[in-house]
Formats: sequence, C-alpha cells, structure tokens
Amino acid sequence: MKKVYPLEDKCLGCGLCEVYCRTAHSKSKDIVKAHKRETTFSAITIEEVLTPKTIKYFALSCRHCTDPKCIMACISGAMFKDKDGIVKNDKNRCIGCLSCLLVCPFGAIKKGADGKAVSKCDLCIELEEPACVANCPNEALKLENVK
Amino acid sequence: MKCLIIGNGAAGINAAAAIREKNKHAGITIISDEGIEVYGRPLISYYLSGKVSYEQIFYKGKDFYNEQKIHLDLNTHIAQINLKEKIAVSTDGKTFPYDKLLLATGSVPFIAPTKNLTNQKNVFTFLTFDQADKIKHAVKPNSKVVIVGGGLIGLKAAEALHGKVGSITVVDLADRILASILDKSAANLIEKFISKKGINFILGKSVGEVYGDENVQKVILSDGQVLDCDILIIAIGVRPNVELAKNAGLEVKRAIVVNEKMQTSDPDVYAAGDCVQTRELLSNEEKILAIMPNATAQGQTAGFNMAGEDIALNPSTSMNAISFFGLQLICAGLTGGQEDNLFVDENEYKLRRLNIADDTLKGFVLINDIARAGIYTDLIKNQTKLSELEYDLKQQDIGLNVYNKKERHDKLWEINQ
Repeated sequence: MKKVYPLEDKCLGCGLCEVYCRTAHSKSKDIVKAHKRETTFSAITIEEVLTPKTIKYFALSCRHCTDPKCIMACISGAMFKDKDGIVKNDKNRCIGCLSCLLVCPFGAIKKGADGKAVSKCDLCIELEEPACVANCPNEALKLENVK
Repeated sequence: MKCLIIGNGAAGINAAAAIREKNKHAGITIISDEGIEVYGRPLISYYLSGKVSYEQIFYKGKDFYNEQKIHLDLNTHIAQINLKEKIAVSTDGKTFPYDKLLLATGSVPFIAPTKNLTNQKNVFTFLTFDQADKIKHAVKPNSKVVIVGGGLIGLKAAEALHGKVGSITVVDLADRILASILDKSAANLIEKFISKKGINFILGKSVGEVYGDENVQKVILSDGQVLDCDILIIAIGVRPNVELAKNAGLEVKRAIVVNEKMQTSDPDVYAAGDCVQTRELLSNEEKILAIMPNATAQGQTAGFNMAGEDIALNPSTSMNAISFFGLQLICAGLTGGQEDNLFVDENEYKLRRLNIADDTLKGFVLINDIARAGIYTDLIKNQTKLSELEYDLKQQDIGLNVYNKKERHDKLWEINQ
C-alpha cells in the first residue's frame, strides 16, 4: 500500500505539513478557522534531531504497520485496519486510554486536543494526495508504495 | 474442522478472527457465560460513569459474528470437557464436539475470606458488564460506597462512581495504591491527586468482617475501625479461571500451562488470555500477564495455530495505560524497586521514572508526561543496549532521534524490520 515517507535530508522543519494536516481534518477546511476556532490536531509532527552542530528535522506520521501493535492493545475496539490497510481510529469508540500510545514503537500517536480520542493519520483518503505531501515546499514527504 | 472457543473476551474473539483469516470454511463456535456480545472489558467503568453508552461498549461491529460466520452461544456455562471424546458439555446438558478447542476463560474476582460476607445483597465485584450494570442500578445519590482494593479495578470503580454517590472509601492492605504496578513515589502522587477529588483512602488495612443481615451496613477493618457502608465493591484482584482445565486433567500450575503456540498439555486444546501463564520477557519466567494487549496477542497466536499455522508467541511484559480523573499514567516492565532516575514535578503532577539496569531499560513509569512512550516500550521489548543509542535517556525526552540516522531511516521506511 502507499504510505507517507519522510525524507530527513530534505525536511526544513517549517511545519507546513502540520498546518495543512490540521486544516484538512478540520470541519471548516479553512486554514485560519481550523487553527483559531477548532481543536483538530495535526496527525503529522515535526520531530527535531539535535546534533552537536545543527538541528535537523523529519516529519513523523502513522506508519500503518503490517502488524499494528496499537490495534492489539486497543481496549475498546476503536483502532482497526480498513480493507485498504489503513490503520484507523473510530473516534466514537475511542475512550482515550492511550494504550495505543503505550505500544507504538514510532511514538507516532498523540492525545487529541479534545482529551479524548487520539489523533491519527488517515492518509487523507478523500483527497487525491495527502495534505502533508501536497503542501510540503521541499518535497520532504513522499507518498510511495515501498513494499 | 470444528473449532470451539470457550470465552468471548479479547482472547476468544481474536482467536476466532485469526482462525477465520486462515481458514474460510472452519466451523467456529464461541461459548460465553455472559449475556451480550464481546465488549471492551475495561470499558465497564466508563459505562458505569456514563461516559460510554451501552451501544459504545462493544468491541466489534454489530455484524462481526455474521460476517465472520461465527456461531455464538450466549448464557451458556460449560460444566466439563472430555478430552478423550473431544466434547464439551454445558450445565444444561448440551454437547459441543470439537476438533480444536480454545480455553479463553479469563479470570474471576478474588474474594478474601471475610466474616459474614456470604449472601449479602449489596456486595459487588467489578469485572463484567453485568456486574457494572448491577452497581449502576444499586447506587443512590447518598450511598456510602466502600471499595476493597486500590488497584486498577478498584480505582476505576471509584472514579466511575465519583459525583454519583454520597461518599467513596477505598481500603487496601498494601501501603500504597496500585501496589502491583507502581513504586511508592508514583503511587503517592496519584493518591494525592485522587484524594483531592474527594475519594477517601485507608491503606495498610483489610476488611475482616461485615455487619448486617441481607445487606452490609458496616465494614470492620483489621484494626477495628468501623465504616458505614451501603455498597461494598470487592476489587482485591483476580485469579485465573482454570476450573474447567483442571477438572479436564490439563496441566495447570498458577494458571493453565501452554507452550509458545498456546497449546496446553493436550495438543488439540489451546488456551489464551488471563487464564494462562506465558513467558515474561524480563524475568524469563512463566507469569500471568492479565492485560488486554497480551490477551489479544495470545488469542491471535492460538487462533493461527488452531488453523494449522506454526506461529510462536512473542514474550511480553506487564504494561498499563490508564487515567484517573484525567491524570494519565503509562507504565511498562519492571516498575517497582529503586527510586533512581526519578523526575517529579509535584505541582504539575508529572513524574517520569526509568528503571535502567545492565545497560538496558527494564521498565518505566510516566505520569502526565507521556509523549512517545511506545519508544520506551520498544526499548524494553528489544532489550536495546542503551550505550549504543544517540543520547542518554535520562537527559532528554524520548524520540525516534534516540536511534542513529540509518536506524531511524530503516525503521521509518520499513527496511529490514
């Protein structure tokens, strides 16, 4: 399946992926309203890599694992894999226990701003291309079919 | 092939799904002594509090059993298993023949011998939906609730009833709450936080006797202290439900003994979940790891093997993610013992403790500071040499940057994983 892969050497750490992810998953789909009035979280995060001389960055989002530990740990049945292999979180059933966060080896799952459900990348299935990939100014995110 | 599964919890249901994934035609029957389809067992506290509705507790979609062609027999108690004839018999005489059997019988509440406790109407345990529902209907706004046991179950019951009853008192024999999973510093911080919400704690004491005919009215503690009580919830702990296995003649120690494939001493009988003991990663000893992630993994492994695959269970360890009144706790591995590598911010109720030994991470406790905790869990599972990491875990928050660039890249791009 196609997934979003980060290219560490190209990432500027600008954070536009976060901004556009948050907008794409907002109710208003409006960049200003999404950030000022909505509690939507970005499912992609800029991670810093501190080296003695420089700071580098990469953008981290759900890896949609072949054998997802988060699904095995979920206590409510909210986390599931759909027929396309996308690991999804049903917000209506998620109670925010964070068992998924406890087992995600990438640290890619976060607690949502609503304090309830965890935010998770859904690969922007309804869009042609994930919002983070489409709006990265330096092509540091690639939608690729690796396996 | 006829597959029979006794138990409709996380282990049973994941075993059924795994069998179906590998074998489209196998007959699969699940037997449950409960009255409803599979639900997220830990969700009963959210149901009791009202945070989750009845419709929301179910672990699988409504059509799961139909879609997966799984026959479900609810309200059915299996009385015995005949290993020779490969038949299970229910208390009402119904027979269930099998080619492969899975025991996913879970655990049962442990009730310590207490004077005058039998046949009291207002005494509850808190392990099933049915029990939660009974408590829900029994509590009144002025009820004086006494909960025996300050572990995960007792504290979740206390949280669920908070604001709905007159008073809540938690009694535990240990010197701290959550004694089985937390060291003293972490337990004390959580106790302080929960106490502020108005829950009373009496620690270092047990309940020796209760007063009342038909209904408990007073609870007498080991030191003679007397508590008024309208609702008594026993949440001391659980023990593996192994009666069926034992009576059938299967090998049972503290729990049902299984091999890596989740096979019992009878090769056609498998067992998974709270009722088994499996190899614990850090001690390399057989332990009962009665937590949901292990039940699902064990159930799935059992299911695959019942369907003819040859899959070994990965050794696991203890781990918990739970919140109390919004205070988030995440811990894994060996969490007790030494107090080094401890960072506490009492005002913010934040705590981080790493249990480091032999250049490896053995366990961690995180309170209200939980970001990327799964990377710690992974370091425990792989017993990664900490000296080979990019930085000292004690000095910096955890992140994927703890691995060198190539390793990080390979992980993210799934190369050689």
